[in-house]
Amino acid sequence: MNHTVGISDMKVTNRRDDVLVTYSLGSCVGLALYDPVAGVGGLIHCMLPLSKIDPAKAAANPYMFTDTGVPALIQTLFNMGAERRNLIAKVAGAGSLLDEKGLFKIGERNYTVLRKVLWKNSILIAAEDVGGSKARTVYLYMESGRTVIRSGGQESEL
Amino acid sequence: MSRREEILAQVRTLPALPTGAGQLLALLQDPDVGISILIERIEYDPGLTSNLLRLANSAYFAGPRTIGSLREAIVRMGTKRILQLVITSVVAPMARRPVSGYDLPAGQLLTHSVAVAIAGEQIAEAVHVRPTDHLFTAGLLHDLGKIVLGTFVEVDVEPIRRLAFDEAMPFDMAEREVLGIDHAEVGAVLLGGWSLPADVVEAVRHHHDPEGLSGDKRTVDLVHTADQLILSSGLGGGSDGLNYRPSEKSVARLNLTPLLCETVISRTLDAVQSLSGVLDASGGN
Repeated sequence: MNHTVGISDMKVTNRRDDVLVTYSLGSCVGLALYDPVAGVGGLIHCMLPLSKIDPAKAAANPYMFTDTGVPALIQTLFNMGAERRNLIAKVAGAGSLLDEKGLFKIGERNYTVLRKVLWKNSILIAAEDVGGSKARTVYLYMESGRTVIRSGGQESEL
Repeated sequence: MSRREEILAQVRTLPALPTGAGQLLALLQDPDVGISILIERIEYDPGLTSNLLRLANSAYFAGPRTIGSLREAIVRMGTKRILQLVITSVVAPMARRPVSGYDLPAGQLLTHSVAVAIAGEQIAEAVHVRPTDHLFTAGLLHDLGKIVLGTFVEVDVEPIRRLAFDEAMPFDMAEREVLGIDHAEVGAVLLGGWSLPADVVEAVRHHHDPEGLSGDKRTVDLVHTADQLILSSGLGGGSDGLNYRPSEKSVARLNLTPLLCETVISRTLDAVQSLSGVLDASGGN
C-alpha cells in the first residue's frame, strides 16, 4: 500500500508491501531509513532546519524541523526493532532557488543539520541526491529498500 | 501568427468570470454601495454564501467568535476581506484542476496560490509593513496564467526544460525565450478582463520581475518574496521546481532576514493546511 508523507510529516512501517512516498521536496530534506534485517523503514520530510525558531510548534509537530524530526525517526525505528549498524540512510532534497546568494539558505541549512544529526547517531549516508533547483519526489519500497527519485518526469534509483 | 499572438488569442477566448461574480467584485470595490445591497447580491448565490461563511470561520480568518451570518461577516471583517473571500471562492474551482505543462496534480495550484496569499501577509507582519489592500488577492491570483500557458508549455516542454535546467535560466525567462510570453504576463492579460484593481493585475504581471514595475513596489515585493519562499519550500510545487531567481532588491527593501523567512514558512504551513481543508470541502462552488 502507498502511504504519503506530507510536508513536515513522518511515516514508518514494517510491512513489506508498503511504499512510502513524499512529494515535491524543494529546500526541505527527505530522509529514507531502512533496516533490511529487521524489515522496518521510515521516511521523513522536514521543512526547516532548527526548532529553536518555534519550540511550541516543534513540541506539537517535531517532524517540521530537521533537528527534532530526524532523531524522532531514528528512535521510532529503534523501538520497532531496527539496529543502528543495519540502517541504510538515503537523502534527497535541500534544493535552492537560482542565484540565491544566501538570501534564504534553507536547503543548505537543512542539509547541514541533517548531516550533523546523522553523524551524532553514527549513521552514514549511503546515497543522496541533493541541491540544485529541481523539486523531487521520493519513494521508499519496503520490499527491497529500493529508493527512487522522481524529478521533472524522470526517475532514477538512489 | 507567432506563438505569442497565438497564446494571447487563446487567452481572449476564455470566458471572463462566472456570471455575476464580476459585478459583485465591482460592487465590493464601490465605497457607495451599502451592506444591504451586498448581502442581497451574495445571498442570490447560495453556494457562494456558504463558501464565504465557511472561509470566514476558518482558522486563518476567524476571530474569537463564530460568524453566523453574512451581515456579521461583512461588519466584522470589512468589505476588503470579504472581497478577498469572494475571489478565493470564485477562483478555487479553477485553481483546483490539474495543470498540464507544469505537472501540477489536482489541488496543487490552489495550495500554492493560497500559500502565497498567506505568506505575503505573514511577511508583512514579520517585517512590520502594513499589508497593502490587495496583497492577499494578488498573492492568490499570481500564478493563474499557468492554467492557460500550461498547455503551450506542455507542447514545448523539451526546449523550455533544457534552457531552465541545463542552462540554469529562470523558468519564466525560458518561457519567454521559447513561447514569447511568460505565465506572469498571461495571468495579467487574463485578469485584465476581471474588473480587478489595477495594482493586483500589475503585481501579477511583475511577480517574477519586481523591478519592472514602476511606482509603489510594496505589493509586488511581498508577492514576489512570498512566491519565492513558497516555491522554495515546495508547497504546491510543479515541475518548474525552484528554477526561479529571487530579487535581492525586494528582499532588501523588505529587510527580510533568513530567520524571519523560516518563521514565515512555519506559520504559513499551518494556515494553509487549515484553509485548504475548507476549500476542498467547499466543492465545485
